[in-house]
Amino acid sequence: MNAMNDVGGANGWILAVNLIVWTGIFLYLLHLNRKLRDMEKDR
Amino acid sequence: MESLTKTILPWLLWLWLVGVILGAFLYAPPAVGFRGSSRILFFHVPMAWVSFVAFLAAGVESLRYLYGGRAPRHDRSAAAAVELGLAFGVLATVTGALWAKVMWGAYWNWDPRQTSILVALLFYAAYLALRAALEDRETRARLSAAYAVLGLVVAPFLYFVMPRMAEFTLHPEPVINRTGKVDMDGKMVLVLMSSLAGFTALYFWLHNLQCRIAELAERRASLEGDRP
Repeated sequence: MNAMNDVGGANGWILAVNLIVWTGIFLYLLHLNRKLRDMEKDR
Repeated sequence: MESLTKTILPWLLWLWLVGVILGAFLYAPPAVGFRGSSRILFFHVPMAWVSFVAFLAAGVESLRYLYGGRAPRHDRSAAAAVELGLAFGVLATVTGALWAKVMWGAYWNWDPRQTSILVALLFYAAYLALRAALEDRETRARLSAAYAVLGLVVAPFLYFVMPRMAEFTLHPEPVINRTGKVDMDGKMVLVLMSSLAGFTALYFWLHNLQCRIAELAERRASLEGDRP
Protein backbone atom coordinates (compact mmCIF):
# COMPACT_ATOMS: atom_id res chain seq x y z
CA MET A 1 0.00 0.00 0.00
CA ASN A 2 3.03 2.30 0.33
CA ALA A 3 2.73 2.96 -3.39
CA MET A 4 -0.30 5.19 -2.88
CA ASN A 5 1.50 7.37 -0.33
CA ASP A 6 2.94 9.60 -3.01
CA VAL A 7 -0.28 10.13 -4.93
CA GLY A 8 0.17 13.87 -4.71
CA GLY A 9 3.72 13.60 -5.97
CA ALA A 10 5.23 11.38 -8.62
CA ASN A 11 2.11 9.23 -8.92
CA GLY A 12 -0.31 12.14 -9.29
CA TRP A 13 0.40 12.84 -12.94
CA ILE A 14 0.38 9.12 -13.79
CA LEU A 15 -3.07 8.83 -12.20
CA ALA A 16 -4.23 11.85 -14.20
CA VAL A 17 -2.82 10.43 -17.44
CA ASN A 18 -4.51 7.09 -16.75
CA LEU A 19 -7.82 8.78 -16.02
CA ILE A 20 -7.68 10.67 -19.33
CA VAL A 21 -6.49 7.67 -21.39
CA TRP A 22 -9.02 5.19 -19.99
CA THR A 23 -11.89 7.66 -20.23
CA GLY A 24 -10.90 8.26 -23.85
CA ILE A 25 -10.69 4.56 -24.69
CA PHE A 26 -14.00 3.87 -22.94
CA LEU A 27 -15.80 6.69 -24.77
CA TYR A 28 -14.28 5.58 -28.08
CA LEU A 29 -15.53 2.03 -27.46
CA LEU A 30 -19.01 3.32 -26.64
CA HIS A 31 -18.91 5.38 -29.84
CA LEU A 32 -17.86 2.37 -31.96
CA ASN A 33 -20.49 0.19 -30.32
CA ARG A 34 -23.27 2.72 -30.96
CA LYS A 35 -22.15 3.27 -34.54
CA LEU A 36 -22.08 -0.47 -35.19
CA ARG A 37 -25.55 -0.94 -33.66
CA ASP A 38 -27.00 1.91 -35.75
CA MET A 39 -25.46 0.56 -38.96
CA GLU A 40 -26.70 -2.98 -38.28
CA LYS A 41 -30.18 -1.56 -37.59
CA ASP A 42 -30.07 0.38 -40.88
CA ARG A 43 -29.17 -2.78 -42.74
CA MET B 1 -21.98 -18.91 -27.92
CA GLU B 2 -21.49 -15.74 -29.95
CA SER B 3 -23.62 -13.66 -27.60
CA LEU B 4 -21.65 -15.10 -24.68
CA THR B 5 -18.37 -13.87 -26.15
CA LYS B 6 -19.98 -10.54 -27.02
CA THR B 7 -21.28 -9.87 -23.51
CA ILE B 8 -18.97 -11.65 -21.08
CA LEU B 9 -15.56 -11.22 -22.72
CA PRO B 10 -15.68 -7.37 -22.78
CA TRP B 11 -16.56 -7.32 -19.09
CA LEU B 12 -13.79 -9.79 -18.29
CA LEU B 13 -11.37 -7.57 -20.19
CA TRP B 14 -12.47 -4.47 -18.29
CA LEU B 15 -12.07 -6.37 -15.00
CA TRP B 16 -8.61 -7.48 -16.11
CA LEU B 17 -7.61 -3.92 -16.98
CA VAL B 18 -8.94 -2.57 -13.67
CA GLY B 19 -6.78 -5.25 -12.02
CA VAL B 20 -3.78 -4.03 -14.02
CA ILE B 21 -4.36 -0.41 -12.93
CA LEU B 22 -4.70 -1.42 -9.29
CA GLY B 23 -1.66 -3.68 -9.59
CA ALA B 24 0.38 -0.86 -11.12
CA PHE B 25 -0.35 1.50 -8.21
CA LEU B 26 -0.83 -0.81 -5.25
CA TYR B 27 1.09 -4.02 -5.91
CA ALA B 28 4.19 -3.32 -8.00
CA PRO B 29 7.04 -1.53 -6.23
CA PRO B 30 8.57 1.59 -7.83
CA ALA B 31 11.70 0.94 -9.89
CA VAL B 32 14.99 1.71 -8.15
CA GLY B 33 16.13 5.22 -9.08
CA PHE B 34 12.86 6.26 -10.71
CA ARG B 35 10.52 6.54 -7.69
CA GLY B 36 6.79 6.56 -8.43
CA SER B 37 7.24 7.84 -11.96
CA SER B 38 8.32 4.35 -13.04
CA ARG B 39 4.65 3.29 -12.85
CA ILE B 40 4.07 4.86 -16.26
CA LEU B 41 5.99 1.81 -17.53
CA PHE B 42 2.88 -0.36 -17.04
CA PHE B 43 0.94 1.76 -19.54
CA HIS B 44 3.60 3.33 -21.77
CA VAL B 45 5.31 0.04 -22.77
CA PRO B 46 2.03 -1.83 -23.58
CA MET B 47 0.85 1.13 -25.70
CA ALA B 48 4.11 1.09 -27.68
CA TRP B 49 3.85 -2.71 -27.94
CA VAL B 50 0.27 -2.57 -29.22
CA SER B 51 1.23 0.02 -31.84
CA PHE B 52 3.98 -2.34 -33.03
CA VAL B 53 1.60 -5.34 -33.07
CA ALA B 54 -0.91 -3.27 -35.05
CA PHE B 55 1.66 -2.19 -37.64
CA LEU B 56 2.86 -5.77 -37.97
CA ALA B 57 -0.74 -6.98 -38.33
CA ALA B 58 -1.30 -4.38 -41.05
CA GLY B 59 1.68 -5.77 -42.95
CA VAL B 60 0.49 -9.36 -42.59
CA GLU B 61 -3.07 -8.47 -43.66
CA SER B 62 -1.63 -6.60 -46.64
CA LEU B 63 0.36 -9.67 -47.66
CA ARG B 64 -2.83 -11.72 -47.37
CA TYR B 65 -4.59 -9.16 -49.53
CA LEU B 66 -1.91 -9.18 -52.22
CA TYR B 67 -1.37 -12.94 -52.32
CA GLY B 68 -4.66 -14.28 -50.96
CA GLY B 69 -7.14 -13.45 -53.69
CA ARG B 70 -7.41 -9.68 -53.08
CA ALA B 71 -10.29 -10.06 -50.61
CA PRO B 72 -11.44 -6.56 -49.50
CA ARG B 73 -11.71 -7.72 -45.88
CA HIS B 74 -7.90 -7.96 -45.67
CA ASP B 75 -7.57 -4.39 -46.96
CA ARG B 76 -10.10 -3.14 -44.40
CA SER B 77 -8.33 -5.06 -41.67
CA ALA B 78 -4.94 -3.55 -42.59
CA ALA B 79 -6.35 -0.01 -42.64
CA ALA B 80 -8.06 -0.49 -39.26
CA ALA B 81 -4.82 -1.88 -37.81
CA VAL B 82 -2.82 1.15 -38.99
CA GLU B 83 -5.39 3.55 -37.53
CA LEU B 84 -5.23 1.81 -34.16
CA GLY B 85 -1.43 1.52 -34.33
CA LEU B 86 -1.20 5.26 -34.86
CA ALA B 87 -3.59 5.98 -31.98
CA PHE B 88 -1.66 3.78 -29.55
CA GLY B 89 1.66 5.06 -30.93
CA VAL B 90 0.62 8.65 -30.22
CA LEU B 91 -0.47 7.65 -26.70
CA ALA B 92 2.90 5.93 -26.13
CA THR B 93 4.74 9.02 -27.39
CA VAL B 94 2.72 11.39 -25.23
CA THR B 95 3.08 9.28 -22.07
CA GLY B 96 6.80 8.96 -22.84
CA ALA B 97 7.14 12.73 -23.29
CA LEU B 98 5.37 13.36 -19.96
CA TRP B 99 7.74 10.94 -18.25
CA ALA B 100 10.70 12.62 -20.00
CA LYS B 101 9.61 15.98 -18.56
CA VAL B 102 9.56 14.51 -15.05
CA MET B 103 12.87 12.61 -15.35
CA TRP B 104 14.91 14.52 -17.94
CA GLY B 105 13.46 18.01 -17.56
CA ALA B 106 12.11 18.36 -21.11
CA TYR B 107 9.21 16.82 -23.02
CA TRP B 108 11.25 16.21 -26.16
CA ASN B 109 14.97 15.42 -26.25
CA TRP B 110 15.49 13.84 -29.68
CA ASP B 111 16.48 10.68 -27.86
CA PRO B 112 16.98 7.76 -30.34
CA ARG B 113 13.82 6.04 -29.08
CA GLN B 114 11.73 9.22 -29.26
CA THR B 115 13.06 9.91 -32.75
CA SER B 116 12.48 6.39 -34.03
CA ILE B 117 8.86 6.24 -32.86
CA LEU B 118 8.24 9.67 -34.39
CA VAL B 119 9.59 8.41 -37.74
CA ALA B 120 7.42 5.26 -37.43
CA LEU B 121 4.31 7.39 -36.77
CA LEU B 122 5.09 9.61 -39.77
CA PHE B 123 5.61 6.52 -41.94
CA TYR B 124 2.16 5.17 -41.04
CA ALA B 125 0.50 8.58 -41.19
CA ALA B 126 1.72 8.62 -44.80
CA TYR B 127 -0.09 5.28 -45.29
CA LEU B 128 -3.38 6.94 -44.33
CA ALA B 129 -2.56 9.96 -46.52
CA LEU B 130 -1.92 7.58 -49.43
CA ARG B 131 -5.29 5.89 -48.89
CA ALA B 132 -7.06 9.23 -48.67
CA ALA B 133 -5.48 10.37 -51.94
CA LEU B 134 -6.71 7.41 -54.00
CA GLU B 135 -10.35 7.20 -55.01
CA ASP B 136 -10.46 3.90 -56.86
CA ARG B 137 -11.01 1.16 -54.27
CA GLU B 138 -8.83 -1.49 -55.90
CA THR B 139 -5.94 0.85 -56.68
CA ARG B 140 -6.10 2.17 -53.14
CA ALA B 141 -6.09 -1.32 -51.67
CA ARG B 142 -3.24 -2.55 -53.89
CA LEU B 143 -0.92 0.42 -53.40
CA SER B 144 -1.52 0.78 -49.67
CA ALA B 145 -0.99 -2.98 -49.24
CA ALA B 146 2.39 -2.72 -50.98
CA TYR B 147 3.25 0.21 -48.69
CA ALA B 148 2.21 -1.67 -45.54
CA VAL B 149 4.27 -4.70 -46.60
CA LEU B 150 7.28 -2.37 -46.70
CA GLY B 151 6.35 -1.54 -43.11
CA LEU B 152 7.14 -5.16 -42.15
CA VAL B 153 10.80 -4.17 -42.52
CA VAL B 154 10.51 -0.54 -41.42
CA ALA B 155 8.58 -1.09 -38.17
CA PRO B 156 10.87 -3.76 -36.60
CA PHE B 157 13.88 -1.66 -37.59
CA LEU B 158 12.50 1.53 -36.02
CA TYR B 159 11.14 -0.15 -32.88
CA PHE B 160 13.91 -2.60 -32.09
CA VAL B 161 17.07 -2.08 -34.17
CA MET B 162 17.59 1.67 -34.52
CA PRO B 163 17.24 2.55 -30.79
CA ARG B 164 19.81 -0.15 -29.96
CA MET B 165 22.27 1.11 -32.57
CA ALA B 166 22.67 4.45 -30.79
CA GLU B 167 25.76 4.77 -28.62
CA PHE B 168 24.04 7.02 -26.10
CA THR B 169 20.43 7.11 -24.96
CA LEU B 170 18.64 8.67 -22.02
CA HIS B 171 15.91 6.05 -22.28
CA PRO B 172 15.97 3.30 -19.63
CA GLU B 173 16.99 -0.18 -20.72
CA PRO B 174 14.26 -2.01 -22.61
CA VAL B 175 12.33 -4.74 -20.73
CA ILE B 176 14.63 -7.34 -22.28
CA ASN B 177 17.97 -5.62 -21.79
CA ARG B 178 21.16 -5.66 -23.86
CA THR B 179 22.28 -8.90 -22.22
CA GLY B 180 19.00 -10.56 -23.20
CA LYS B 181 17.70 -10.72 -19.62
CA VAL B 182 14.72 -9.20 -17.81
CA ASP B 183 16.34 -7.25 -14.96
CA MET B 184 13.18 -6.28 -13.09
CA ASP B 185 11.40 -7.01 -9.81
CA GLY B 186 9.11 -10.08 -10.10
CA LYS B 187 6.00 -8.11 -9.08
CA MET B 188 6.75 -5.49 -11.73
CA VAL B 189 7.18 -8.20 -14.38
CA LEU B 190 3.82 -9.75 -13.38
CA VAL B 191 1.94 -6.43 -13.66
CA LEU B 192 3.73 -5.53 -16.90
CA MET B 193 2.94 -8.89 -18.53
CA SER B 194 -0.70 -8.63 -17.39
CA SER B 195 -0.86 -5.15 -18.84
CA LEU B 196 0.67 -6.30 -22.13
CA ALA B 197 -1.91 -9.09 -22.36
CA GLY B 198 -4.79 -6.72 -21.47
CA PHE B 199 -3.75 -4.04 -23.95
CA THR B 200 -3.25 -6.64 -26.70
CA ALA B 201 -6.77 -8.02 -26.08
CA LEU B 202 -8.14 -4.46 -26.07
CA TYR B 203 -6.46 -3.87 -29.45
CA PHE B 204 -8.07 -6.99 -30.96
CA TRP B 205 -11.47 -5.95 -29.61
CA LEU B 206 -11.19 -2.42 -31.06
CA HIS B 207 -9.86 -3.84 -34.33
CA ASN B 208 -12.78 -6.24 -34.61
CA LEU B 209 -15.31 -3.42 -34.06
CA GLN B 210 -13.58 -1.17 -36.60
CA CYS B 211 -13.49 -3.93 -39.24
CA ARG B 212 -17.20 -4.65 -38.79
CA ILE B 213 -18.04 -0.94 -39.11
CA ALA B 214 -15.83 -0.58 -42.21
CA GLU B 215 -17.51 -3.62 -43.80
CA LEU B 216 -21.01 -2.24 -43.18
CA ALA B 217 -19.98 1.21 -44.43
CA GLU B 218 -18.55 -0.31 -47.61
CA ARG B 219 -21.69 -2.36 -48.18
CA ARG B 220 -23.88 0.69 -47.68
CA ALA B 221 -21.72 2.74 -50.07
CA SER B 222 -21.94 0.07 -52.76
CA LEU B 223 -25.74 -0.19 -52.29
CA GLU B 224 -26.07 3.58 -52.63
CA GLY B 225 -23.84 3.42 -55.71
CA ASP B 226 -26.15 0.82 -57.29
CA ARG B 227 -29.24 2.99 -56.86
CA PRO B 228 -30.41 4.75 -60.03
